[in-house]
Parts: sequence; C-alpha cells; structure tokens
Amino acid sequence: MLFRSYKKTVFLLLFILSIYIKTEILHAGNSITLRVANWAGAEEVILEKQIAAEFMRMYPEVKVRIEPIPSNYREKILTGIAAGKPPDVLLLDSVIIPALVNKGVLVDLMPYVERYGVDLSIYYPNVLAIALRDSSLYALPKDFTPMVMYYNKRLFDDMGIPYPEDDWTWDDYLEIAKRLTKDRDNDGVIDQFGTAFLNTLYLWQPWVWMMSGDILSPDGTRATGYFNSPETEAALGFLIDLRRKYKVAPHGPALSAVGGTGGMFYTGRIAMIESGHWWLPILKKYIKSGDVDVGVAPLPRPSDGEKVTVMYESGWAVPVGVTHLEWSIKLAVFFSGKKAARIRARSGIAVPAVISVAEEQVTDDPYGLEKVFIKEIPYARMPWGTKVDEFSRVEVIAKDAVDEVMIGGKSIHAAFTEAARFMDQELLKLTRKEKAPAGSLMKSTQIIIFIGISILLVVTIGIVGFILSSRKQRRGILTGYFFIAPSFIHLTIFVFSPVIFALFLSFHQWNIIVPEKPFVGLGNFKALLNDRYFWNALKNTAIFTLNVPVGMAISLLVAIAMNQRIKGVNLLRTLYFLPSVSSFVAISLVWTWLYHPQFGLANYILGFLGLGPFGWLSEPSTALISIMIMTIWMGIGYQMVIFLAGLQGIPEGLYEASRIDGASAWQRFWNITLPLLKPTTFFVLVTSVIASFQVFTSIYVMTEGGPMRSTDVVVYHIYKNAWDYLKMGYASAMAWVLFLIIMAATWIQFKFMGREVE
Amino acid sequence: MITNLNVINRDRLKSRLRKKRVMGTLGRFGIYIFLLLLALSMLIPFIWMISTSFMDDLEIYSYPPKFIPQKFLWRNYLEAMTILPFKRFFLNSVIISAGAVLGQLLFCSLAAYAFARLRFRWRDKIFALYLSTMMIPGIITLIPAFLIINAFGWMNTYWALITPMVTSVWGIFLLRQFFMTLPRELEDAAKIDGASEFTIYWRIVLPLSKPALATLAIFSFMGSWKDFLWPLIVTNKMEMRPVEVGIAMFHSIYSTNWPYQMAAAVVVMIPIVIVFFMAQRYFIKGITLTGLKG
Repeated sequence: MLFRSYKKTVFLLLFILSIYIKTEILHAGNSITLRVANWAGAEEVILEKQIAAEFMRMYPEVKVRIEPIPSNYREKILTGIAAGKPPDVLLLDSVIIPALVNKGVLVDLMPYVERYGVDLSIYYPNVLAIALRDSSLYALPKDFTPMVMYYNKRLFDDMGIPYPEDDWTWDDYLEIAKRLTKDRDNDGVIDQFGTAFLNTLYLWQPWVWMMSGDILSPDGTRATGYFNSPETEAALGFLIDLRRKYKVAPHGPALSAVGGTGGMFYTGRIAMIESGHWWLPILKKYIKSGDVDVGVAPLPRPSDGEKVTVMYESGWAVPVGVTHLEWSIKLAVFFSGKKAARIRARSGIAVPAVISVAEEQVTDDPYGLEKVFIKEIPYARMPWGTKVDEFSRVEVIAKDAVDEVMIGGKSIHAAFTEAARFMDQELLKLTRKEKAPAGSLMKSTQIIIFIGISILLVVTIGIVGFILSSRKQRRGILTGYFFIAPSFIHLTIFVFSPVIFALFLSFHQWNIIVPEKPFVGLGNFKALLNDRYFWNALKNTAIFTLNVPVGMAISLLVAIAMNQRIKGVNLLRTLYFLPSVSSFVAISLVWTWLYHPQFGLANYILGFLGLGPFGWLSEPSTALISIMIMTIWMGIGYQMVIFLAGLQGIPEGLYEASRIDGASAWQRFWNITLPLLKPTTFFVLVTSVIASFQVFTSIYVMTEGGPMRSTDVVVYHIYKNAWDYLKMGYASAMAWVLFLIIMAATWIQFKFMGREVE
Repeated sequence: MITNLNVINRDRLKSRLRKKRVMGTLGRFGIYIFLLLLALSMLIPFIWMISTSFMDDLEIYSYPPKFIPQKFLWRNYLEAMTILPFKRFFLNSVIISAGAVLGQLLFCSLAAYAFARLRFRWRDKIFALYLSTMMIPGIITLIPAFLIINAFGWMNTYWALITPMVTSVWGIFLLRQFFMTLPRELEDAAKIDGASEFTIYWRIVLPLSKPALATLAIFSFMGSWKDFLWPLIVTNKMEMRPVEVGIAMFHSIYSTNWPYQMAAAVVVMIPIVIVFFMAQRYFIKGITLTGLKG
C-alpha cells in the first residue's frame, strides 16, 4: 500500500532532503558561532541556554550553542580536542581536570583576567583553587557541592527522634538508623529503612577521610598500604555493616542507580540518604507540594575522628586552538560571572561559586536547607578524581571490592588488599601513559592506504579474470562487473578490508589520541588471557546465549498453536510482532522501569503468583536473566513468523497419512514436524546465536554492564575499551577472539544439524 | 472374518474420533487461552509505558502500581520533547533512513540482477563470497570502519551515518531470490529488440519487482532507523544524533524521572510502529522469502 507509487515516495524523500540542505546552508551563513560543552542534566540545559541568550543579547554578532554531552564526557572532550575540533568553551569537572590541566591543552586565563577586569575575589577561594596551578588559572569556577545527609523529617517526628545536630557522630547516626528501621505493616518484611548505602566511591570517600584513612598515597601513585589500611577498612566496614550486619540499609535497589533509593526516600521508606546539592531542587519541589518534609545535616563524624567532607566542583575553561579565542574567553568569563550565577541559582542544582550569589541563595531559601552546605565549605577536601587522571579506573576497582564484601561475603581485608593490588597495576599503566605527549589526532593515513591497496587488489583480480577469459566470455564479464561493482567496492571498504585491518590493529597498541602506535605482536592476545574482566564478559555472553533455545522453543510452540486454523491470526501476529519492530532503546527503557525493584510492575504481577520480590537489574544474580527474559520477549514475534512459514510449507498429506496410521499428536510432532522444520530451525538458530553473541544496546541502556559486571558482555566490553579507554588495538584483539568464537559456534551448528540441510 | 475385523476396526476408529473431537474442543480452548495470555504479556509493557507517561513524577512511586493516572499530564510530553532537540533527532533519522533506503534499493538491485540474470565468470564464487559476509559479526568491522570514517574527516556528518548502510548482502539475496522467479520471456523479447542489459534491468525487471523492492525498502528503513551502536560512535554532537541515540541520551540525563522517559519512549515508538502497520505484509514476505531458503 505504502509503496504502491514508489516514485512519489522517492520524490517526497528527496524533497525533505533538499529542504534540509537549504536550511543548513542558511544557518552556516551566520557569523561567529561558539559551542559550549557541558555534561549537564536537563533543567540545567534550559538555564544554560538562557544564559547563552543573555550573552547573545549583549553581543548580537555572536551565536552561542549549548551542547550537552551526558555520557563519556571526558573521552568525547579529549577526542574533540585531539581531532582539532574542541568546543569553544567547556565545562570542567573534577574528573576531567587532571587530564586537561596536566597535559596543557587549556588556555591560561590569568593574563586575560586582568585585561577583562575579572574580580577573582568574588569566588570562594577553595573553589577557585581547583583549577589554579602555580600562578596559572585554567578555569573560572561555576559551582560546587559538598556531600551532606538528607533526612525525612516526618519519619523523625513520628518516632519522636530529634533532628541530627551539626556535630552528630557515627554512633548517633547508627542509633537513629536502627530506630527508624521498621516493619510498618507487620508482615515480617522490613519496609522502612533508617538509611541507605551505595557502593560508589564519591559517596564514601569522605567517610574514609574522617577515619584518617585514604584511597591512594599522597602523591597518587600507590594504593597498597592506603586502600587496605586499617583506617580505610574500618570506615568502609562501618558503612558495609549498615547493610550486612545491622540491616538498617536496603539490600537490592541501593546497588544500582536506577532511581531506587530516590523513590524510596520520597515515599518514606528510607529515612536518611547521603547526597549532594544536586538533589535539592527536586526535593524542594516535593516539599512545596507537601509530599515530603526534608532536612539537611552535615555528614556525621566518628567520635574520635575529624570533620571532613568532599567537594565536587566545576568551572568553565577554554581549550587551546579555538578559532575565536577572545570571544571564547569573553564567553567563559560571562558564564562564570555574577549574572550567569543568578540565572543558574533559579534551578539551585549546585552552590554558586560566587560568594554573594551563594549567600543570596541561603537567604532566599524558605526551608533553611541551604545554609548547611555553606557551613561545610571549610571542611571540604578536593576529591582524588581532581588530582589523578583516569581515576575512574581506580573507582571501578574500589566499587567492585565493596561489592565483593557486601554481596560476595568476602572478608574486607582480603578484598581490599587484592583491590589495592589491581589499583597499583592500573596506576602504573597510567603513569607510563602520562609520558606520551598529548599529540593531535593522527589522520590515520594507514587505513586509507590499506583500503586503497584492497581496492587495487580487487580491480587487479577483475582485470586478470578478464584477460584470462575467451573473447566470447569477455562481454558477459564486463556487464557483470558493471552491475556488481558498486556493492563490491562498498563491501571491500566496509567489510573485507576492515576484517583484515582489525587483525592488523590487534597486533598494535593503538590509542587514537596518542601518535605512537607501537607494534606489540601477540601482546594484546596474551594480555587477554590474563584479563579477568574479559573472561567474565565471555562467560556472561555464553550464558546470555542460552536465551536462544528457550526463545526458540516458545516461538515454535506459538507457531504450532497459530497454525491450528484459529481465528484472529493476523491480529495476534501483529501483536506478537510489535516488540521486535518498535525501538530497541525505548523498549529497554520500558523494561528498566518494569523491573524497578520497589515500584515496578514485574514484581507486582509476580506477587500474585506468590513469587518475588526480585531485585531484577539491581542484583548481580538476576540482572543478566532479566535482560534475557526481555530479549526472548522481543524475539518471539520474529521467530514465530519464520516458524509459521516453515510449518505451512509442510504438506498436509503427511499428517493425514500418519493419522490414519494411528500416530499420536506427539509422535506426529516428533516424527514429521521437527524433521521437516529442520532447515527453518537451523536458520533461526544460526542467526539468533550470532545476534546473541553481539548483544549491546540493551546492556548499554539498562545496566551498563553492572551490577558487579554481571551483565558485562563481550561487545559492551569491546565498546568500553575502544571508546572509553581508547584502547583500540586491545579491543580489536577482543573482537577477533569473538569472531573466531562465533565462527566456531556456527561451524559446530553446521556439523551437528546442517549436514542434511544444505 | 475379514468383514468382521473391519467392522471392529471401524467402530474403534469412530470412538477414537469422537474422543478426539472432545479433546479437540478442549485443546482449541487451551490454545486460545495460551495465545491470548501471550498477547496480553506483549501488550502490558506498552500499556504501562503509556500510563506512566502521563503521571506525576511522584505518583509513579505508589504501590500497588497504578494503571490510570490521577490526571493526564500532557505536559510530560511537551517537556520531554523540548529538553533535548527531538525534532532534530527525528529529522536526522529520516535523512539517514532515506539515504540508506535509496542506496540499498540501487546497489542491491544492481548486484542482485547480476547474480540472478547474468552469466559471467566467477559469478557463483563471488555470490558465495557475498553470502559468507553475513556470518561476519558486525563488531569486528566496527573499529576499522570508525577509523575509516575518522580518516575521511566524516565524524558528525550524514556521510558517516549513511555510507556504511547503503549495501546489504541480505537485501541482495532477497532481491536475487525474487528476480529468479520472474519469467524470462519479456527479457528475451527486449533483447531481440536490441535492448541493453541495463535497459532490461531498469525498464523491465525493476518495475516488475515493486513488491520485493518495497520489502527491501521496509527492512532497510527499519534497520537504519533502529541502528544504535554505529551512530553512537560516529557522532558526538547533539544535532547529528538520530532518535535511537537521542533517547538513550535522554535516559542518561533523566534516569530517575520515569514519566518523562516513558513519554519520550512513546513518541519515539509511534512513527516506527505506524510504518510497521502500513507495511506489515511486506515484512512478513521478507522474512519468509529469505528465512526459509536460509
């Protein structure tokens, strides 16, 4: 129907395309465009746009575009700079500071500070200090937040517990948490928890400092002796015991960041949660609507320990090599100025770095929550991520170690000592890498040469074939080659030569932003053998592939049922098909919400059958299975249609004959349906297994490989290595291993099933 | 003797058939129940998605979960769509899909014509080479393809998003299967009139193959629309991202606001579901045409 007149369709598409191209050219005609990069959340984007609009009103000749990069901020910025296309102004957070400042890719703003008359005394000194190196200033501060403890006032009032004092201790905290942990409906299951503990480092970092422990040595090069010191272990032991021993913190949802704790806090199921200022705007909204009543307290300190918190900050920087340096600096100054801070204060995501605006924020706050944050400033320390480049790798190891204790039941000392060793290895790699200069992105001429050679090779083979043929054949060859040339060249560029080039890459240490790409022979493959994360990813992928036989069995069952000449086949088929045609990402979102441990539909429905509640995506033991269930659900329609077509191809006469012979339904299925369906089954099996080995989107959207790497599959692992850690050689080695495994799996399937099929 | 035996056998057969009929009715009932339950399990997530999309962001945290929102908040849709440039995401997806569809229709039909209708040296060997690429997992070509695009300086361009999509071996296979079924008479007549191979391809074979071309168009449209990993790695500018990547970014920004996320999910699904409804029969045809001969 749709394509009855495909000419019209084509014209329509061309028309749309031409309109688009026109508008694009018109846009390009505009004078100066400045791009501002940030990682910001949604409300912030709106405010930053308002600030940009304010700037454009002052300088109509300039156009400012806000470009949020919500994920992989650090890598995207680094590759942008390396490729010579940096944003004109970029937001610097604690994680990206060491990467950029230490490598000298940011403009020193100090000379311009004087020229533009920027008054640095308007900022909190220790917020300004984050981007200060000797007498050079690499960023103008935007805002910051210390970590604090939020508490639900109503739960305190119900129990007659006084609100936490400014100098409350860990003992007080534990005592209150114990009193606020209750079984409200007396069904034997705790449904109200005193507090929550998440495994992420940015939350527990200050607790370690309070006990005078630390994560790394002062110079940031060693973890052994620090991460596994008695002080650090004592601090984390206290926090882990909130869950393990005292059971005053919930188990499942706290593991993941699927919004479990937030929802539980709003509904009065968690009494106290540690967080930053970014949570305040949404809480204020709920306070205003009367849904919750919230208080803010500083973090408790150990009775014999010091008072410390951590401060996460951000600021505006200008990278070296921007096209309009003066304008970029002007914009950065404007973005960190008083006016911008005032606009931003409307959202109140963070505490403004401008002292006067921060104080306005305190006096304007009807709930009296802001002042706690200001009071914390003198006690705030700079986080490790600000000092050590790629600290996130250490962070991941620390997170795993906490999980191993909390969920895996390992002893804290054993887990932390092992983790410290892994951290040391990572740090050693990082310091080695530091020596490489931050070169510009190599125009990878190698690959172009490679493709050129491949195409030449293909053409030569074609010519040789032509010459070798008899005169009669030659005409046929010419027309034949004319018809297949476009697709053949395309395949050469995008399939044949990439496969070979991937092998070439796998023998090199290939970092896209480092100019030297040394040959390492089989080094990458050897490293793979000892890479416990890769083995873990392989294991998860193998388990995941088990969804294929289960899904096929269900689909076959459905197809057989649909083949019984029942009414409404078309409608049913459409319904079954719906999941597999709709957007993969959107479906993944829906299921993430469906799997919500507290408020999701999955647990509710299973509750009727007396099952659950399950932690689904938030528990390492169920996360992968949860994704497998969704995958099966998505695939049923597609596989069913193939099976149905196969079933309809089986001649009815065969069934008639066997019925007369007195064969039972089961015998008919076993002796007729299955053997005759073999080609179909084989096709579905081979294609589904190949697809399963390459699962990515659902993992990326739903779990990011977690919790505890329980859903880290090979393709996701390759993606992380190639584009997060920029280890493309190593990632190519993994891809080749996966390729060989898939080949072997396909070969085995051919061996055992395919012989009669072909 | 013989007649007696026959009578007994016939009686037995009759009673067995009767039993079968009763069983058959029960069985049919069971089949319907099974199929309807399955249909329900397919629908429920969609229904829940839609109902959540209209809820207040605190209302969703209620237990037992609610299916009907207190108030239908249309503003969830408005806000979700304006926070990120979804209009632009859709435009990008349309452009990418249009490019992929046009490219595949041309490239695939050309190659398929050669493999189905022409005779030339190494034809079958080349075809086998083509088919073998279907076994190559996409992940292995991903990093080199990224480096190629990067070396061409095509990052954040439509070139990067469209070019790798314009050929599909699956599409060549599909069209070849279809071209083989076309009668040769018309062609022979045209040949006698002195028509070139290209004329035959363009004037005779293509117009006769509209259903197959429509099938390919639908599949390439769906394939490029739903592609995720490739656009994720070759774009880092907001305004170059297609819908699928856009909504994933929306998720990372709004990971706890479920009404917004569900609203965005609904909007993203609507166009592709409409296309599916309109083109369903081509879809089924495509699957059966290539799936069976696998």
